[in-house]
Amino acid sequence: MSLLLASVGFGLITSAVLAIAAVAFTLQFAVTDVLNLAFAAVMTAGAFIAYLVNQSGYPVWAGLVAAMAACSLLSVLLNYFVYAPFQRRGSAPITLVIVSLGMALIVEFGTAAIVGGISVSYSMSQGSTVGLGGLVFTTVQLVIMAVSVLVMGFVHVLLRYTRLGKAMRATAANRMLARSCGIRASRVIATTWALTGALCGLAGTVFAIDVGSFDPSSTDIFLILILAAVFLGGPGNAYGAMLGALVIGLATEVSAAYIQPDYKYVVAFVLLLAMLAVRPAGLLGART
Amino acid sequence: MFESSDLAAQAAGPCHAPIRYARSHRAGQRHWLRLTGQRRWLRLTRTAAMLTLTAALAACGGGSSPSAAAGSTLLFADVAPFSGPDAALGPIYLVSCDGTTNAINKAGGILGHKVACTTADTRGEPADAVPAVGNLFATAKNLELVIGCTSDEAASVVPVINQHKTVMFCMTGQSEFDHVMYPYFYRLVPPDLAESYAMTVIAQRLGYHKIALAFGNDIGSQTFVQPAIAAIAKAGLTLVANETLDLNATTFRTEAAKIVAAHPDAIMTEALGSADPTLLAEIKQLNNNKMIPVIGTSAAISPVFYSACAKAVGAADFAANFHADNLVTATSGPAYDAFTGSLLAVKGKVSGAQTGDFTTYFTAPGAVHLYDGMNLAALAMVAAGSTDVAKWKPWIATIGNGVPGAVVVSSFAEGVAALKKGEKIRYIGPGGPTSFDAYHDSPGIFQIDTYSTAGAVVVAGNISAAELRAVSP
Repeated sequence: MSLLLASVGFGLITSAVLAIAAVAFTLQFAVTDVLNLAFAAVMTAGAFIAYLVNQSGYPVWAGLVAAMAACSLLSVLLNYFVYAPFQRRGSAPITLVIVSLGMALIVEFGTAAIVGGISVSYSMSQGSTVGLGGLVFTTVQLVIMAVSVLVMGFVHVLLRYTRLGKAMRATAANRMLARSCGIRASRVIATTWALTGALCGLAGTVFAIDVGSFDPSSTDIFLILILAAVFLGGPGNAYGAMLGALVIGLATEVSAAYIQPDYKYVVAFVLLLAMLAVRPAGLLGART
Repeated sequence: MFESSDLAAQAAGPCHAPIRYARSHRAGQRHWLRLTGQRRWLRLTRTAAMLTLTAALAACGGGSSPSAAAGSTLLFADVAPFSGPDAALGPIYLVSCDGTTNAINKAGGILGHKVACTTADTRGEPADAVPAVGNLFATAKNLELVIGCTSDEAASVVPVINQHKTVMFCMTGQSEFDHVMYPYFYRLVPPDLAESYAMTVIAQRLGYHKIALAFGNDIGSQTFVQPAIAAIAKAGLTLVANETLDLNATTFRTEAAKIVAAHPDAIMTEALGSADPTLLAEIKQLNNNKMIPVIGTSAAISPVFYSACAKAVGAADFAANFHADNLVTATSGPAYDAFTGSLLAVKGKVSGAQTGDFTTYFTAPGAVHLYDGMNLAALAMVAAGSTDVAKWKPWIATIGNGVPGAVVVSSFAEGVAALKKGEKIRYIGPGGPTSFDAYHDSPGIFQIDTYSTAGAVVVAGNISAAELRAVSP
């Protein structure tokens, strides 16, 4: 098995998990104007909800559904009780970033206080190993990639062909104008929180299935990868987030094959900085 | 990304501002600056005074007071990670602390004082550990003893604890403590390089020739690497891969692929938290579903570690392919019975310590050796007849190393009974005989541990001092 080919395979798996999270994050940001740094912490909470369901004797896929529902509710409540009041008061964007950072710490440490600081694993088999032309995947990893592709397809259909998707795009582009055209922006925003919250729960559970063993702080670095993917692809652009996730996922794993793996995240950020220097709007963002 | 700032260029007013206005405006500015400067100076002075006062209070506050008030409760503090990658360690030590203090209290306490445990979560990071310890000393009354202080934080907290004149029994194997004198520092575990040598002896004993290293990038794990490389070379084995695992990373597939590609006979590893279970699962996936044999450190002897790895690669596979070095501990006899009895008395009552097979704590090095350390400290206080650390500290080495004519005791209760009869005592607990050197180190001797499929620790052999010397560079 060539190391390059193997690392491309690893990159595809990482990209698959990252894409779900990055797309949800960027949609949330685009429509709600909130750079929600608590996103990764909510992912972790979702992963632990799925764990609790799994430990009660249910398959992890049932836990995944529970995680999606719980994270959807948590995200809606987060907006209703925390972010929306600050936005109504006209708080500066940087204030909201700090608030979301505070919420990230509250959610992460709250999760740790409830479940403890040790790492846990789902009770599930990773399935058999499948070789695909030099690439090696387990059955579960193939399922994760299939789920990711389905989510990308769902988001594409939602944004392109549904009224809600069009309303989300309109609200993201210009909230005041969208309101003037009769779009109920507050309802669109609440729905966006619910939808992206569900995707956040999905991303968290899938992330935990992929890594095998996780604890309340497992997604700390993953948030940085999400931000890198979002801004590489163009902030607020769902298709950009998908592309950004692919680039970041492949870059981190392929670079780890040839330089010390400690530096794989550094490589991803160097790429991001280089891209922002050349094209600040990101790969698919509009040129300014 | 963010809305552009609402700062708009101010409309230019009339550009012929009166000169008089400008002069008075400048004068006003100077006056304002003088006032501001004065106020600023006052503020700085006040702040400096407060900082000085705070520092003075911090230096004076907390730590062990000359003698605890009659009837007050003495505190033993577990200073260790309770969160972060090494979160499994704090609860292990807390089980030992709760069990030991419970047994001490049942035997009448220390000079009429009850003993209780408290904790300080270092998160396994020096930057978090120092404030945690500072907070401990600022808030804890009658703090007599600190236990724990692992390699993750020892370098930063040992000087602080020493400055507060508080005795500590630490679980760090860092070689910087081998020959540096901290008067209040005691260690009942060997230096890390001795564990690296022990792991190499295990590899030799099991007939492995090609070795891969996979250690976490934390301080505690990295101290094993260089001694392991040297010992592997001395033993005539071949180092085929050396991967450092970023404990903040969530997958190690590339590292796993490099290890598998090197075709090692065995992997020496320590990467606590979720890192090792994740790595081992990924290695198994990439190695045609076959686990490569693993040699771990004594930190791998914990129910949490077994549980995570068993889930990751399967209990049968893990049990069949895992060995670790561990310090020799008693598995029978009065000391062992007293130790296991004290731990079993708190089974299910210690937060974070309800995972897996509880009997694993009976051989977990932290549980065993800190139990001995706490008993030594408690007996030292009784022998000195005082909770004043200046008076009881010297008794630690006396009771640990023994003196001619000393009666051997194996528990706190036994020791107190002998002291009441006026006898000299030597405490030998489940960790074996103590032999403190000038630096308060007592290294112990090694055994080889493995797990049963049910997660119980099985002793697979012992390592002699001669075997260790043979691989020492």
